[in-house]
Amino acid sequence: MAVREEALGRYAELVADDPREFRVHGSVYTDPALFDVEMRAIFERTWVYVGHESEVPAPGDYKTVLVGTQPLIVTRHEDGRIYALYNRCRHRGAVVCRQERGHSNFFRCRYHNWVYANNGDLIGMAQSTGYPDDFDRSRYGLVPAPRFENYRGLLFVSLAADGPSFDEHIAPVRRYIEYWLGRSPAEAVEVSLPPHRYEYPGNWKLQAENGTDGYHGNYVHLSWQRVLALAREATVEESQHYRQSGSARGLAGGHGLLERPGSLNPNSSWTARMMHRYPDYDAAMRRRFTDEELVQISARRNIFVFPNLFLFETHFRVIVPKAVDRTEVQLYVYALRDVPDAINQGRFRGHERFFGPAGFGTPDDIEIFTEVQSGVRARGEEWLLLNRGQHRERIENGEWVGHTTDEAPQRALYRQWRRLMAEA
Amino acid sequence: MPALTVADAERFLFAEARLLDERRFEEWEALFTEDAVYWLPIDPTLDPAQAVAIIYDDRKRLHERVYRLTRTPVLDQNPPSRTLRLVSNVEVTPLADGEAAVDCRQLIAEMRPGGPGQQGLNTPRLFPAHCHYRLRHLDGAWKIALKKVVLLTADEPQYNLSFIP
Repeated sequence: MAVREEALGRYAELVADDPREFRVHGSVYTDPALFDVEMRAIFERTWVYVGHESEVPAPGDYKTVLVGTQPLIVTRHEDGRIYALYNRCRHRGAVVCRQERGHSNFFRCRYHNWVYANNGDLIGMAQSTGYPDDFDRSRYGLVPAPRFENYRGLLFVSLAADGPSFDEHIAPVRRYIEYWLGRSPAEAVEVSLPPHRYEYPGNWKLQAENGTDGYHGNYVHLSWQRVLALAREATVEESQHYRQSGSARGLAGGHGLLERPGSLNPNSSWTARMMHRYPDYDAAMRRRFTDEELVQISARRNIFVFPNLFLFETHFRVIVPKAVDRTEVQLYVYALRDVPDAINQGRFRGHERFFGPAGFGTPDDIEIFTEVQSGVRARGEEWLLLNRGQHRERIENGEWVGHTTDEAPQRALYRQWRRLMAEA
Repeated sequence: MPALTVADAERFLFAEARLLDERRFEEWEALFTEDAVYWLPIDPTLDPAQAVAIIYDDRKRLHERVYRLTRTPVLDQNPPSRTLRLVSNVEVTPLADGEAAVDCRQLIAEMRPGGPGQQGLNTPRLFPAHCHYRLRHLDGAWKIALKKVVLLTADEPQYNLSFIP
């Protein structure tokens, strides 16, 4: 098939949105030129998650991030506001910050001592008499990201001045984010640093697809299910049955989720179990929410926010594409605010048990990413199938809703990918 | 109670390294006390109650780890890691109550063999680490009450660490 040659400049054709056989072309995982286009057409166009406000709680706190391949500083200024600034001196282009995170009341370029405030203002340079009296410093601050949004503590930037607003971008997934926050009676979370970090020799979309994939669990995570059986927490049969419940949803804008049903029964949901175990938590939750809301809140969801964020029960998962076949993933565990300490400590230890580079689940997923990356080079047949459940999915409130093992979220992801790449 | 000499500590650490390199994980697990902790911090200065670690195993979790590696269809150790551990710079500090602190440096070389062109396989990796042990003399033998492994790259992104570092 000659798609590879013809596709240059025609990336949208690499996703076949066929009503019976939704497919993506293998080159979306392997083509370095396509990766460069993705960085510009997706990561430098749409809204990208850069962190949580609790990572920079005090004025002067900062973290550095990559948005696609673009280096930014996210920092809190003395005015209390958070700024997202390109990490690049306006003079000769050196970075002004080399650390991953820290605290500093200014950013100084080490080449010629140009100094910037945490809001990006240029506040001085070495031997400034070398510039004329009318040199207008206000024109030479660190360049801010064109658009920045603090949505309930979650920080997003868009490196494009135009395009859909943040509200438009987040609207399809907003109510799920609010349920997710609702496990805290203050509806707030606090990130616990440092994050888990892992890196695999594979494409970034493999992680994006997998976090809402309800089909692989009983096979890839059989060893995890055996550990749960050893601990007498669930038999393998119970774990496998659980993984058949709920739904997989594809949302507009490329977002998606994998959802297990909520319940007020302590035997059926984590939230209800914690409420049963900790009367203070129970009282605070019942003061804040109705029973109907509590059922929604207690539903366990893996929420994908296109293109680089998952919200999991224990962590924010941030995808950092590094090359077409190299991806870093950061897991920022968070505490639920205003809950008993024992709940959060239990969540940390529970997180380590499955997630992270030495957990009992994550390494099995990573293994699969490398197996796909190794396999998609084969050109005997270049298309991958993402058509599971297409014949049985239904549309509800603008969402594609499928059986929990169906590929509705992955199709939503690639529809958005196709839309953005078509504009490249 | 006998004092732990550097020679004793080296014999103990070399034997432990051999058990891990030979994938004799159940024998390795038996080196730990019932209240033992096996800890790979991301930031060794942080209280594990307040931060996640790469590994923070109590004895029950450690048993799960060994069980998973040895008795379940684990993908990330199939093919299994080959490891080769060098143990060096051993220092012993006597502690109260029949315990001794042992600090050492370890260099763990790891590789998973596989077919041609397999991502993630056939690539040797090196893990230099500072290791801290607390050993306790119990029933005539030294046991591990604490094993803390601080990788040089503890806060860097890691590929599969499911072999036992």
